[in-house]
Amino acid sequence: MAKFNKYVQIENKPSMVPVGLEKAITAAAARDARIIAVLEDMGFPGMLWFKQHCPDRMIECGIAEQNAAVMAAGLAAEGFIPIINSFLFADIGRAYNQIRQSILVDRFNVKFIGREGAWGEPGISHNTVEGIGSTRVLPNLIILNPADAVEAEKAAEAMLQYVGPVLLRQESSPPPVKIFADNLPFDIGRAFSLKDGRDATIIATGYMLTEAVSALDILEKDGLDVGLLDMCTLKPLDDEVIVKVAAKTGAIVTVENGTVIGGLGDGVAAVLAENLPTPMVKIGIEDEFSQSGKMSPKDELKEHFGLRPEDIAVSVKECIAKKVKLNKKRK
Amino acid sequence: MAHDEKLVKGLEKKADQIRRDCFDIFGSTQMGHAGGTMSIIELITALYFHHMKFDPNNVDWPERDRLVLSKAHCCEAIYAALVELGVYPRKTLGTYYCFGSPFQGHADRWCTPGIDYSGGSLGQGLSFAVGMALAEKMKSVVKDINVGQGGFLQRYVVRFDPLYRSFCILGDGECHEGMVWEAAMFAAKYKLDNLIAIIDYNKFSLDGPTNEIMNVEPLAEKWKSFGWWVTEIDGHDIRQILDALELANKLYGDYRPKCIIAHTIKGHGIPAWEREHIHLGRGDVIVRGIKEGREKYGEV
Repeated sequence: MAKFNKYVQIENKPSMVPVGLEKAITAAAARDARIIAVLEDMGFPGMLWFKQHCPDRMIECGIAEQNAAVMAAGLAAEGFIPIINSFLFADIGRAYNQIRQSILVDRFNVKFIGREGAWGEPGISHNTVEGIGSTRVLPNLIILNPADAVEAEKAAEAMLQYVGPVLLRQESSPPPVKIFADNLPFDIGRAFSLKDGRDATIIATGYMLTEAVSALDILEKDGLDVGLLDMCTLKPLDDEVIVKVAAKTGAIVTVENGTVIGGLGDGVAAVLAENLPTPMVKIGIEDEFSQSGKMSPKDELKEHFGLRPEDIAVSVKECIAKKVKLNKKRK
Repeated sequence: MAHDEKLVKGLEKKADQIRRDCFDIFGSTQMGHAGGTMSIIELITALYFHHMKFDPNNVDWPERDRLVLSKAHCCEAIYAALVELGVYPRKTLGTYYCFGSPFQGHADRWCTPGIDYSGGSLGQGLSFAVGMALAEKMKSVVKDINVGQGGFLQRYVVRFDPLYRSFCILGDGECHEGMVWEAAMFAAKYKLDNLIAIIDYNKFSLDGPTNEIMNVEPLAEKWKSFGWWVTEIDGHDIRQILDALELANKLYGDYRPKCIIAHTIKGHGIPAWEREHIHLGRGDVIVRGIKEGREKYGEV
């Protein structure tokens, strides 16, 4: 197994983002009476669980996301910290203009948790992939995308401490792997390096980090020393670290559970194009919608979209080949 | 209700002054949302100069009444009121539409202290006012030490007056937006009797008569059926405005959000603008309107 940073403690046990979120939000809500849940009839994947802790801080809006978003802005204007938890296509997508006009313009302290991802059973309506691209363009919005329960807990703590609008993207269908040690340091806007490399660097976000970790094993067997960077904050991107690892390894592969247009890959590419043009491969969903797919015995959608560890390993090798070709040309 | 004649006359005079300030604003750019602004002059005057709790020296006063101008393109009337109240110097009137000016093209809370809501994308203001009204309820509950068990709805504190009220001015065309009715349902559910929506029913939208574009009638019945208290007034009659606002205040404690449907005329008082049901006017029509207005409402 690859040698990781001391804050990485990989265990094969479920470490789901919602568990971390619940822990952090419950703890923060016990300290801070301003934190309230704004519900959009989403049941327990939403924030119905909050009822056990703070039954008098639940505002139920029903299936009316537009009103919920702007109403939350009104609450935030009066000093409350509303948290909205729903599918990303609903709480952000359905209320996109409302969020832009009534929340982001005035930087109101509203927190969003948006669930999305390319795989799962529900099909084309719920397996959305456009969330990162469609929100990265919005000014005044912080976007976080944690990879496991520990990082989710830290991210949610940071989200509630930060004063201003934050979107925490919670991917659907988590892999049963815990990645981080409980004392993981976390800062909004700072990428976390799991492993330094020499030949290439993988930049991953969310649950794709798990796939990337498995890809490292494959690559190691092939004698390649590949670095791994966890980009939990998708906005603002950690430009400095991106340029640093690009300078060191000369080949960058980005991996995300979302469309490659406007997502993490495009963000990294923009940073590198302006500062240090570097051979790159973007892994994600190629400009198409997702659909239903069984998760077991094999993950049909992951296979379809080419997001398995072996696919990542192939892309890394492809990227290294690009680098070698370019270096020859330059000589 | 009988009102002090002096008060009514004073407010009518003030309304004329607000109009003249609006002419200055329009004149500086030869452009502006003249029709909708003229139709809310009396409403804004009655709210800012008599009815609302508002401290020009402390525009962030936590107990001030909130005013959400959902039809934020008609912010010229509020800018004029803020100048008359001394929040901004008179010369600011000439900076409307200018880069860096507090008087932006659409109302902007961030750029213009004294304004409660950044609008422009229609239909959203009522939800924002609803959020502020709900916040008032929740703050009042937190303050009360003798709270029982159960959801905060059961623990509403009976008081003679809320900490503050939320007012929201909506356009009639805006009521075409679905989310207005989401907010209406929400306000009734949470019993927001500290919320007062005022509909500027000037009967005209950008493409033509509002009810030809998409019929909003029966408007009063709609609001009633959503669980609101509703009254209809002439939105250019100061006496009726004061009556309706006072009644809405007095009914606080009946657990119903309030809706005042103010029948108004688009471009009120200015023949050039009334004739064309002007929305966003530019150039000649604005200049003509200002000329007519200055002659009609000029200081005696």
